[in-house]
Amino acid sequence: MIQIAQNCVGCGKCTAACPFGALSLVNRRAVASSACTMCGACVSQCPVGALSLPQNTAVKKDLSAYKGIWVLVEIGTNAMSQHVRSVSYELLSKGRELANQTGEELGAVVIGSNISAFYGEISQYGADKIYAVDAPAYAHYNTAAYANALITLIKKYNPSVVLFPSTYVGRDLSPRVAAEMFVGLTADCTGLAIKDGNLIQTRPAFGGNILADIKCPDYRPQMATVRPNVFKKVVSAPGKMAQVVPETIAVPAEAAKVRIINTHMDPPVSGLQLEEADVVIAGGRGMKNKAGFDLLDNLAQHLGAAVGASRAAIDLGLKPKEKQIGQSGVNVAAKFYVACGISGAVQHVVGVEHCGVIVGINKDANAPIFNVCKYGLVGDAGQILPKVLEQLKK
Amino acid sequence: MAKNDLMTRNLMLDSLRQYAKNRISFNLLREHDAKNEIPLDILKEMYDHDILGVHLLLIPEEYGGLGGQTTEIYRICEQLARIDLGIATGVFATFLGSDPLNVGGTPEQKAKWFTKIAQENKLVAYGATEADAGSDLVSLRTRAEHVVQNGRVVGYKITGSKMWISNGGVADIYTVLALAPGGPSWFIVERGTPGFTQDVHEDKHGIRLSNTAGLAFDEVYVPAENLIGLKEGQGFLQAQAVFGYTRLMVAAFGLGGGEEAVETALEYAGQRIQAGGPLSQKQGFMLKLITPHYIRFEAARAYIDWTAKQLEVNNHGLATEGAIAKLYATESGNKAAEDAIQAMGGFGYTKEFAVEKIKRDVKITCIYEGTSEVLEMTIFRGRWQEHLKSRGQYYINQAAEFDALHAQNPQVGADSVALGLRALARVLEDCRANKLTRHQYVTFMLGDLISEMEVAAVFVRQCANKIVTEGSRFDLATLCTMARINARQSAFKTASEGLRLVLGTCPAIDTAQVSQAVNLVAIEDKMRGLIDDMDTVSAKLRDIFKK
Amino acid sequence: MHIIVCIKQVPDSTQVKVDPKTGTLIRAGVPSILNPYDHFALEKALEIKAKTGAKVTVLSMGPQQAVAVLRLALALGADEGVLLSSRAFAGSDTWATAYALATAVKHIGSFDLVLCGQMAIDGDTAQTGPEMAYHLHIPQITFCESIDANGNTVVVKKLIEGGHQILQADLPVLVTMTMPHDYVAKYPSFMAAHKAQDKIIRTWTETDIGADPHKLGLEGSPTRVDRIFPPPTRAKGEVYSGSAVELANKFVEILKKERVIK
Repeated sequence: MIQIAQNCVGCGKCTAACPFGALSLVNRRAVASSACTMCGACVSQCPVGALSLPQNTAVKKDLSAYKGIWVLVEIGTNAMSQHVRSVSYELLSKGRELANQTGEELGAVVIGSNISAFYGEISQYGADKIYAVDAPAYAHYNTAAYANALITLIKKYNPSVVLFPSTYVGRDLSPRVAAEMFVGLTADCTGLAIKDGNLIQTRPAFGGNILADIKCPDYRPQMATVRPNVFKKVVSAPGKMAQVVPETIAVPAEAAKVRIINTHMDPPVSGLQLEEADVVIAGGRGMKNKAGFDLLDNLAQHLGAAVGASRAAIDLGLKPKEKQIGQSGVNVAAKFYVACGISGAVQHVVGVEHCGVIVGINKDANAPIFNVCKYGLVGDAGQILPKVLEQLKK
Repeated sequence: MAKNDLMTRNLMLDSLRQYAKNRISFNLLREHDAKNEIPLDILKEMYDHDILGVHLLLIPEEYGGLGGQTTEIYRICEQLARIDLGIATGVFATFLGSDPLNVGGTPEQKAKWFTKIAQENKLVAYGATEADAGSDLVSLRTRAEHVVQNGRVVGYKITGSKMWISNGGVADIYTVLALAPGGPSWFIVERGTPGFTQDVHEDKHGIRLSNTAGLAFDEVYVPAENLIGLKEGQGFLQAQAVFGYTRLMVAAFGLGGGEEAVETALEYAGQRIQAGGPLSQKQGFMLKLITPHYIRFEAARAYIDWTAKQLEVNNHGLATEGAIAKLYATESGNKAAEDAIQAMGGFGYTKEFAVEKIKRDVKITCIYEGTSEVLEMTIFRGRWQEHLKSRGQYYINQAAEFDALHAQNPQVGADSVALGLRALARVLEDCRANKLTRHQYVTFMLGDLISEMEVAAVFVRQCANKIVTEGSRFDLATLCTMARINARQSAFKTASEGLRLVLGTCPAIDTAQVSQAVNLVAIEDKMRGLIDDMDTVSAKLRDIFKK
Repeated sequence: MHIIVCIKQVPDSTQVKVDPKTGTLIRAGVPSILNPYDHFALEKALEIKAKTGAKVTVLSMGPQQAVAVLRLALALGADEGVLLSSRAFAGSDTWATAYALATAVKHIGSFDLVLCGQMAIDGDTAQTGPEMAYHLHIPQITFCESIDANGNTVVVKKLIEGGHQILQADLPVLVTMTMPHDYVAKYPSFMAAHKAQDKIIRTWTETDIGADPHKLGLEGSPTRVDRIFPPPTRAKGEVYSGSAVELANKFVEILKKERVIK
């Protein structure tokens, strides 16, 4: 359980902060119940520093040898051609910013086959070095092969930070590597910064409407995954060419234990994509049912908009998973975004941060969506939208 | 195999809830309600062993069932009622119809019929009620005459009719009460037996998803082996043995129906904006239409559960407790459903929302398995005997227990219960001394006051013992606040209503003296802080039921 | 064949509410459920069991009350349950959790297939499965929608960016499952719930499984919460209330003003 020192003044700040409701005030002192998970969320809230986690008794490692910000660059395949996934550039751009701050190098790790054509473009996003593992054996993603390659590189060069795209590949590879390296990994970060030499990884946490800054002070490298469209791509070094460090790493035998039988690519989705649409209409639990979402589809046709949904609506089966906007779904950057029947908890809001005008329609006047929108309508979207449609039809 | 534990009960309830969520939409209910149609396919699925097999609860384990205990059966009944009281009634009819067999059947009869019901998913109906014989079975008209062969009774010919039989038109197996030469007896009659016909489905006010039909018997031959218990004249005893139990199940219906209605209204109130804020934030709205019902529901839940646990020990009996549970819970549920409509205003009055249907449905719980008035009479008779036997000490002795509880835990309203019980004892004694029970109305009202105080007492005792009744969504602190509110109101009702009865029937009595005797001033004094307590409960309700 | 399915008890996400002041979850009165991804993974394991006669063991880590999800799994058809429960596990991040679960899997004995849900809906990390696979030193396949096992291999349908792959893997392997969006979870019949009471659920602590205490709880968890804070708000905009018609008019007005329509 969390440790509470004698100097507790009973202000109650920690009881409000505890995500698990485990802290309460008894006789004007904080007391932790068995619900405490030692998550540490309360520690920074205490104005007198009375709260602490039990100290790590392990001998601290010397971390000074770990230097450099690394980004795993993901190569995507489409039909027969390869390309660099855009999210890799978003991460390189962010990595450049962090590297500038720490005065360290930005390294791009590229694993694949026949990938040298991409080095030029990768360099433009600010990479100082490109660690390239280029061999036919790496033509297709294989967990054991890629993990072995990356771990070999990490052990050889000791980077301080490794960033992964939060794609199917990144989310498969990063935990495997983190486990073997005995380091921390923070999934789906919405913000990254350097503070006191530590990578501060921001993400919605504990399910509520709160963000948490996560750090790994005693372990290196610090690892995080980031979803597409969270950071902006910035060409910071046009025309520059990074130093390419070619590495030859043999594929371990266990890679053969998993074999690709075949690969099916879905036909390109017709219609407007959520990520690209200028106008996006999204529905949440407040749209209640299929009929509610029919209204949104209808309105979207009139406005040339794409339709998405909040996690709650996805969980109710009202839209397929790929239409989920927010933390564990897609991020949108529409010029005009309408949230219908969405309460607007942070898990959703982080996915619409880059939108221009946000309109919220919600029955609950206290819904957090009204904290982020330019226009808020307090009412039932299920009743308002039919009236809107009547007008638009005129 | 072990008896079902709490986790198993919760698994069953979850399965039932999930099934209803996926399969029984409000639209389905609404359509069947409008068409006055029983959703037989739903009932069949609920009986399907691989889907739910809900009827297995009532079948003893040795015959391939689950041997459900009273606690899980009442909890399932509560959940069924929350889904739809018509469907609940259809399931319950099978429970009820099997009860004479359970109570009076020979091992061979149980083996034969229970196995059949369990394996073949048979719907059962309970055929007791007649045009002139409802809760009062003495005027039974249906006859069963001996069929004699070689000087031996080989069977019976049943003639007569039954009315308002749940599952009447759709059951496969009927347990039928008829007057045999040796007295009232239960017989098993299968559908399709020559001379046995079923009337058309009634057009009812509510529970329209439940099939209700009359039965006609025209010299219907049943073999002697279908006489339950193989002995004539046991019918009333067998019927009465399960009243405590069956009424407890209907109590759970009243509770479930009421909860569903008020929860619907509260959800609506959380979203309905009036004068700048949601209705659920308005004190008057909550204290008038919502909060008091939840307090009564939790009181009812505590009482039903307590009675269920007693029944599990005593097996049968507890007729008075069963009657109290049913009277209290169904009347509370019925009033709650009515207020749920009021709370939703015009919306509540339309068929767009469930409360309108629930209100029609839940009314039946105040009628079937003994009308509220029959129950009031039963309760009165049961406790009047105790009052006389103990020379007026029955409730006074109990009051002492609550004095002690109050000394240990002053937060649960045990002091008010003690006052209320003493007032009740006093009113009963005044009624005895002045022969006031010659007024039938007085006996009804006493039955009501007895039930009010006994429920309040059990709720307070459970809270004092730190028991959070399973199925409750409240924490102990909130339940204590509720018990405290309920105890005060019940004591006040008992004292003031008692005064009304005594003075109203016996003008010669001195008003001040009676008022002092029931200690009305002390009870009134307990009202301090009542509204604050109710506001506390309202805040908790908003928290728990906020969507 | 022996399949071990890892499951977690989580708060029902359709019923959780957020305290508007603190932003933390209001957990009181919120029922706990079996994590839906794990529910799906379990059903897939039981399908393999139905086909091959495999034995299915379910494993969960959590407080004592998490035994409820193990009971549900047993009622659905799993053969045995194991609950890892001890204060020593408190404060575990995904690394320490994966280590503890993997150590328990080894302690259960021989196994051919470990199935996990892709992620838990109360954490959303999707890390524990792959991290377990490392600790078990077996291959992993993540984000699979279907699985078929026979003899010495499994064949899975794995989601990839823009499509899917059919993969084959040698046993033993760890597979994480993700369900299609129209998935409806199965629940046990009353009889199955009843019979599950007689199945065995073992409760183990860190000493039972022989875990290294330095790799558990806080000590085995590289990540730390630096601070928590409310989400940033944008400048408070204009908020309107009124009848549906009034608000519809306002909405159309906004569409014009922001040039979404002419």
